[in-house]
Amino acid sequence: MTDRTATDPAARTAAAEGDGRSFGALGALGGIWLREVKRALRDRGQLVGGVSRPLLYILIMGIGLNPYFRAEVYGEVRFVVPYSYLQFIFAGVVVLNVMYTSVQSAVSVIWDREFGFLREVLVAPVPRFVVVLGKVLGGATVATLHGCIVLLFAYFADVELMLGDIVAAIGLIFLLAFCLTSLGIAIAHQVRSFEGFGVFSNAVILPLFFTSSSVFPLDPSLSRTQLLVLYPEWLVTVIYANPLTYAVDALRGKLIGFNQFDPSAGPTILAILSVVFFYFALRGFRRG
Amino acid sequence: MVGGDVSEGTAPVVEIAGLGKRYGRTLALDGIDLSIGRNEVFALLGPNGAGKTTLIHILCTLLKPDTGTARIAGFDVSRQPLKARRQLGVVFQEPSLDSRLTVQENLNFHGLVHRVPFRLRRRRITEMLELVELTEWRHALVRTLSAGMKRRVEIARALIHDAAVVILDEPTVGLDAQSRERIWAYLGKLRRERELTLIVTTHYIDEVDSCDRVCIVDHGKILALDTPEALRARYGVEQVRITPRDLATRTGIMEQNPNAIAEASGDIVLPGATHGVVDRLLGGFGTGISNISIERPSLESVFLTLTGREIRDQAAERPTLARPNARTGEPVN
Ligand SMILES: Nc1ncnc2c1ncn2[C@@H]1O[C@H](COP(=O)(O)OP(=O)(O)O)[C@@H](O)[C@H]1O
Ligand SMILES: [Mg+2]
Repeated sequence: MTDRTATDPAARTAAAEGDGRSFGALGALGGIWLREVKRALRDRGQLVGGVSRPLLYILIMGIGLNPYFRAEVYGEVRFVVPYSYLQFIFAGVVVLNVMYTSVQSAVSVIWDREFGFLREVLVAPVPRFVVVLGKVLGGATVATLHGCIVLLFAYFADVELMLGDIVAAIGLIFLLAFCLTSLGIAIAHQVRSFEGFGVFSNAVILPLFFTSSSVFPLDPSLSRTQLLVLYPEWLVTVIYANPLTYAVDALRGKLIGFNQFDPSAGPTILAILSVVFFYFALRGFRRG
Repeated sequence: MVGGDVSEGTAPVVEIAGLGKRYGRTLALDGIDLSIGRNEVFALLGPNGAGKTTLIHILCTLLKPDTGTARIAGFDVSRQPLKARRQLGVVFQEPSLDSRLTVQENLNFHGLVHRVPFRLRRRRITEMLELVELTEWRHALVRTLSAGMKRRVEIARALIHDAAVVILDEPTVGLDAQSRERIWAYLGKLRRERELTLIVTTHYIDEVDSCDRVCIVDHGKILALDTPEALRARYGVEQVRITPRDLATRTGIMEQNPNAIAEASGDIVLPGATHGVVDRLLGGFGTGISNISIERPSLESVFLTLTGREIRDQAAERPTLARPNARTGEPVN
């Protein structure tokens, strides 16, 4: 069979259209992004969760534990965290909201497969890379919005925000959201059922959150040996190994100016993990 | 291959050669060779499990064939999937709309991912919604529509961009007679207005009469491929349909005529029958027969000749789980 590409009218039109390809791919990317965002914003339950969750953590946990946080001397060890517990936990609550929403948006991958919409996406003349990027960006946008909802409560947590810090914080939130949405999508490809995904998200979100130094500090004035007097070794090891620790820390640095680690560690780790998780998300999609 | 050549004067827009696909131990496609011409309305007719959807999925680049090649407008579906997909508009057998978006949003999404420029997109959405008579439902959430309306949205969607080939996989399955008729009316209208190739799969024989060519498939093989008239002339047989009054007559007729086919309805069909046979039957069983008639060659009889069974029996035999019953629109249990 000869290749009729040159003489075939349809093929010629397609080739001519190729000139506007970059814009076309951008349009496709925008379409996929817009769908994710619309679906999520229409999901009332998700919005309710996005508001009630931070309220719960700030009101109940934050206010409840506030009085215990400032104990200055504890045995022979002095805590030198010069912040209220509400201020301390604030960054953690932002991260928690981002985590839930990112992972939730990955459910759309399972939804698409289950209810057939995936086919519509797969027969579109759009490279898989663009499809996955659109999905991740869409999910990350929604998760970033949910993170920003928490920022609205800053006043009640006694957190004062400067404009520059807000912009930097939102940048960090987006990076985190991108990273976690990619992870969620990569896992959704493996799990393929709503139930399985529910189990996964429950098994992962809270443990990751609680071991990220988001609800209690590792005192920066203490050496690691002294730290071990306060906390069991396994816990300290887990906290150091948890990448989320550095993300929470970087965000806390922007929000209340308190860092336990190098402030650049968070963004660096998030950027690397984003690339890795995105690769896995893409690979899952290519497998179909 | 039987009559696989494209009708004269039109260049093939779909070329399939030696296509084979196996799922574990099921041979879904067994060496399919096909050419489909420009502006042709091509019907793929076969019972459930014949391999129609498998073939469609390979054409859409969703599935890789084990053997053979398929080209859409000259683009190999395995090696140039993006370019091949550009030429395609598809209505899948299974629903594929986003039920949480509105009708318009679904169509717009399609236009965006198919890179239809803004103005054309807006115009096409309006036109296609008009075609399928859903203009008033433009802003309704898809999940509020009936099954037939959803199907029409999917048809409108496949036509938003300029596809060279539009594939519809059982577009009428599970719909009531009126909706089925409407869908064929839209396709007929579309065909008069726009130049495009239509590939329609179905297991309703009565629907393929208006198509240019009919390809009958079963067990992953092409049994016959020709115009409906040619198929009738070549494989169609007049047949005698007998409605026995009682069981004794029924078994009697069945014993005397080894080629008789007992239908689920209780009727007996004798292919290749003549008036002589009618006389013999009436002489032999007389009052035991409540009704007897000679039927002109139908596509149904073409199928019967080719496969030795009725397509409808086949369709009802293996209902797909939780899918509406093909004939009544009621859920099967
Ligand atoms: N994903 C699959 N896994 C295993 N077998 C399949 C799969 N899809 C289809 N089949 C089998 O392949 C054959 C052809 O199926 P299909 O192409 O869906 O037929 P049709 O669309 O004509 O009803 C059937 O026997 C079916 O059971
Ligand atoms: Mg099918």
